[in-house]
Amino acid sequence: MPNSNRYTYMFVALMALVSALLLSLVKTGLHERQEFNRELDMKKNIMMAAGAYREGMSGQEVADAFKRGFAIKRLSGAGRENVPAYYVYGEEPAPEAVILPVDGKGLWSTIKGFIALESDLNTVRGIAFYEHAETPGLGGEIDKEYFTRRFQGKKIFREGQLVSVTIAKGEMLEESDYGVDGISGASLTTAGINRFLRADLERFTPLLQGRAQQQEQR
Amino acid sequence: MTKKTLDPLVGPMGVNNPITRQVLGICSALAVTVKMDTALVMSGALIFVLVGSNVMVSLLRNLIPPRARIIVMLVIIATLVIFIDQLLKAFLYDISKQLSVFVGLIITNCIVLGRAEAFALKNGVGASALDGLGNGVGYGIILVLVAFFRELFGSGTFLGIQVVPLGLYAQHGGWYMNNGLMLLAPGAFFVLGLLVWLQRTISGYTED
Amino acid sequence: MEPAMHYLGLAVETIFIKNILLAYFLGMCSFLAISKSVETSIGLGLAVVFVNGITVPLNWVISEYLLGPGALQWTGLAGMSGVDLSFLNYIIFIATIAAMVQLVEMALDRFSPTLYQSLGIFLPLIAVNCAILGSSLFMVEREYGFIESAVFGSSAGAGFFLAIVTLATMRYKLRYSNVPPGLRGLGIAMLLTGLISMAYMSFSGINL
Repeated sequence: MPNSNRYTYMFVALMALVSALLLSLVKTGLHERQEFNRELDMKKNIMMAAGAYREGMSGQEVADAFKRGFAIKRLSGAGRENVPAYYVYGEEPAPEAVILPVDGKGLWSTIKGFIALESDLNTVRGIAFYEHAETPGLGGEIDKEYFTRRFQGKKIFREGQLVSVTIAKGEMLEESDYGVDGISGASLTTAGINRFLRADLERFTPLLQGRAQQQEQR
Repeated sequence: MTKKTLDPLVGPMGVNNPITRQVLGICSALAVTVKMDTALVMSGALIFVLVGSNVMVSLLRNLIPPRARIIVMLVIIATLVIFIDQLLKAFLYDISKQLSVFVGLIITNCIVLGRAEAFALKNGVGASALDGLGNGVGYGIILVLVAFFRELFGSGTFLGIQVVPLGLYAQHGGWYMNNGLMLLAPGAFFVLGLLVWLQRTISGYTED
Repeated sequence: MEPAMHYLGLAVETIFIKNILLAYFLGMCSFLAISKSVETSIGLGLAVVFVNGITVPLNWVISEYLLGPGALQWTGLAGMSGVDLSFLNYIIFIATIAAMVQLVEMALDRFSPTLYQSLGIFLPLIAVNCAILGSSLFMVEREYGFIESAVFGSSAGAGFFLAIVTLATMRYKLRYSNVPPGLRGLGIAMLLTGLISMAYMSFSGINL
C-alpha cells in the first residue's frame, strides 16, 4: 500500500497539513510572548547603548527603567517620513542622550542596532547591536561588550560635517576620534556596518542639527 | 545491554565518525568552529535535533511512502527545528538569539537527513535514538577539537580566556601574532584535514 | 545601469567573488565526497545548476505571493495585509527543493543509471545541500527581484559547478602522487580545498 501513488499523495498532503497546522498553532499561541521578549530585548539594548543598563537587571526592572527614563519620539510632517522613530534619555528639552536606530546589511544578515549620542549630539555615548545573524566568533562578535565599548567617546561630526565612526580593518593605523579597531576576520561584516551606520546617520543629520540649534537657543 | 545494541551509539563516536568518515556535516564544521563556545552550542543543539528526528522518522518508518521519502523526512526535520526555535523565542529568548544563526544550519545539516535515510528508516526507535546520540556526539567531538585549535591559534584564547600571554604579542613589545588564517575557512580546512589524517592513521582506515 | 549589465555583474559576482561554496562555505559535504571523480562531479554540478536555477525564482514567487509580510493581499480577503507567514520559509523552500530533487532523481534513474548509482546518498542530499537552501535564503535576505533571482540561482549553481570540477580535476591529477595513507582521499581533499579557498579569497577585494 505505501507504494501506490494515491497513498503517496495523501500521505504527503496529510504531512504538510499536520506540519503547517502544528507550526501555525505554535506561532499563534506564542506570538505575543515572542513579541514581548523582542521588545524587551530592544529596550534593553537601547538602555545598553545609553549606558543605563546594569548587568543582571530583570525583565521587569528593564521595563520599568525604560518607562521612567526613556521616551520615544516620532516625527511627522512633510519630508520626515524617511526618518524612523528615535529615543531620548532624560528630560526634554535637553536630554542626557539621544538614541538613534541603525540597521543595514552585514555579510549574512540584516544587522539592527542603536547608537546613543551625548547631549552635544556629537559624541558617541554607546552603541549596541541587538539583531543579527553574522558568523559566530567573527562578525558575530559585534554584539560583545569588548567591541561596542570602543565606540564610547568617539565623534560623528568633524567641523560640522558628518563623518560617522569607521571600523578599521584590523587595528587602526593611528588614534582617531572617528575610528575604532576592527575584529580580525570580520572585515565584511564591519564594512557593512560602516556603510549603513553612515547612511543612517546622514538621514538623521537634519534632525540632529535642528535639535542642536534649538538647544543653543536656550 | 549487549555490545551489539550499543553499536549505533559507540560506532560513530570512534571510527565511523560522521564528519571524518561519512563526510557529513562539514558546512557547519567550518562556520561555527571559530570559537569553542559556539562549537559547543551547535553540537548541543544538533544532538537534540538528531535524536528527535531519528526517533520520529523511525516511528513513522513503515508509513512513509518510498517515493516521497526525502520530502517527508525533510518536513519532519524542518518542523522539529522550527518548533524548537519558536519555543525558544518564547521562553528562552537569549538562548534563541545565540542559536538563530544555527537554525538554518541544523535543518540542512547533512548528518540529520543522512542518518534518517541511512538508519532511522530501517531500524527501531531505540536503536535510532542511540544512533542519533552517537553521531551527534561524534560530530561534537570533532567540532570542539577543530574549534580548540582554531581558537587557540587564531585568537590566543581558550573558551574566551586569554591563554597566550599578552606580553608575547607584537603590539605589546613581543614577537607573537595570532594566526589570522585560522579564523577564516582555509584554516578550518587545514585543521580538519590534519585531524582526518590523525584519526585515520590511528584507526588504520584508508580510502583508495 | 542598464539591466543587462546589472545582471551580468550579478552573475560574475556570484560565480567568482561571492562563490557560494568557496566564499560562503555552503555545500561542502557533497563537494568533498563527490569530487573523487570528474564525471560524477560534472553530473552533480549540472544537477545543482539546474535545481538552483529553478528553485530560487520559484521560491521568489512563493515568498512574494504567499509567505512574505502582506503577501496575501492579492486574494482580496480582509485582514490579509497583516499576515506574515515568513516563519514557514525554511519548510516551504525545502519542500520545493526536495520536490525538484526527487524529479531529478527520477530522471537520472531513467536516463543515466550509472550516474544515479555513483552519486549514491548524495543525490537525495542535494535537497539539504546548504548551498541550495542558502541561495533561496540569500534571495529573500537581499530582496532580489524575479529576474535577479533566476540569474542569481543559476550563477550560484554555476559557481558550485566551477568549484567542484576544479577540485575533482586536482584530485585526478594527484592520483599517482605519493600521498600518505591516512591523508588519502578526504584528508588531502580538505587541504586542497583550503588552498583553493585561499586563492578565491583574492577575489574578495574586488568591487563591481
